Amino acid sequence: MKKIQIAALVALVAAVAFLCLMGGGVLSELQSRFFGILSPLTRSGHAVSSSLGSLGKDLMSLDQLQSEYDRVLAENRRLRAENNGLRDLQQDNDHLRQVLGYRERSSFRLIPAAVLSHDGNAWWSTVRINRGSRDGIAPDMPVITDRGLVGKTAAVSGDLCEVVLVTDENCKVAAKVEGTHEQGISSGSRAPQGELQLAFLSKLADLQPGQKVYTAGVSGGVFPSGIALGTVKSFHARELDGEAILEPSADLGSLEEVFVVTGAK
Amino acid sequence: MRTVFLFLILLILLPLSVALQDQIPGIPPALERIQLLPVVFCFGVLALPLLPALFFALSAAVVQGLTLVQLQSGQPEFGLTLPVVFFLGWAIILQMASEATRGMRWELHALGSSAVTLSLLGGEFLVICAKRGGFPLDMTVLLRTAVPAAAALLLAPLLYLALRKMVPISHEAVEAAQ
Repeated sequence: MKKIQIAALVALVAAVAFLCLMGGGVLSELQSRFFGILSPLTRSGHAVSSSLGSLGKDLMSLDQLQSEYDRVLAENRRLRAENNGLRDLQQDNDHLRQVLGYRERSSFRLIPAAVLSHDGNAWWSTVRINRGSRDGIAPDMPVITDRGLVGKTAAVSGDLCEVVLVTDENCKVAAKVEGTHEQGISSGSRAPQGELQLAFLSKLADLQPGQKVYTAGVSGGVFPSGIALGTVKSFHARELDGEAILEPSADLGSLEEVFVVTGAK
Repeated sequence: MRTVFLFLILLILLPLSVALQDQIPGIPPALERIQLLPVVFCFGVLALPLLPALFFALSAAVVQGLTLVQLQSGQPEFGLTLPVVFFLGWAIILQMASEATRGMRWELHALGSSAVTLSLLGGEFLVICAKRGGFPLDMTVLLRTAVPAAAALLLAPLLYLALRKMVPISHEAVEAAQ
């Protein structure tokens, strides 16, 4: 065995030992740096997928145009395309006004952020957003949309942040059911599918589908009180407690813009 | 020189594959996520000589481990030990398989990618069950483990075709071909 191979082997063993014995703080710092490296790649990937998405939208618009053309023969194709383009712009405009209005109406200090990617792991439910410590984001800050709670921030790098969604098993939220005294703890499942389980309710709770559930805002917790969490889909009594299945208020499958709550106004 | 060049390209491909797999939406019905990192890892450890392959496996373990780390009250739920053991173990197995077949073969890469993906996802699930308790094995879990493994089987030949000309040819392989 050559000397250089022996040196490489020693370096490998040392690296393995270092990685295996690494403490939580060092690991967190390393993850933050890794996200810093990943950030330009994620942003580029997001830009490419957005472009491809808008291409798909344009193709759909052409399909719609074709059906419009068949139905109304008096109008020509060019005018239809123009109208369609204006309609898209109107929708964008309405959406942005709605988002801006929510930010102004909200009683929280909010930092708007765009969702760059959904985590590709099977057992975790997280997204990455384009804000980080440079924007004042820290771990364990609530993330919301104008419809309701999204999750909380976890690992934060300079300009990228990971958000653990409410559908993740590790994101536990104290919640109360509208119109009742029922309180419980909501969490996602191990293989997140977009539903929430609200556990530790009373066995005799009379919950009906459609009832709203809000964050309870326990002292020292991450989430403030009164943020919409979800809607009751079903309720069943278990041996020791009751459990409700909730439909999340925020559309977590197609998140585009979110707000990070940095404090109260 | 060729080995160094391939090693550097594969190192760049590791974070790139993570960024790319995060952009691919989940496949209905159980929102299975395609895993690209095991495909790149498998190619690397099959194509590189033993020591660079072990270093590459260590890099893959760090990248995969860091994407999985979730901080709970400031403490990570999982460290890097399990990914390191997992990827180094597979690197040694695949190196032995590569030697047994006298060089890299596309079938070996495809099967290896699928097996690594299957064991990675299955292993992650088992570790989570051991840490958090409970064993909720249902059809969603099975689909989320099996579909990415099947996808890796189909995707691996594409990477093999793209990078095969960069693979250093061993003397044994040349002798075998003659």
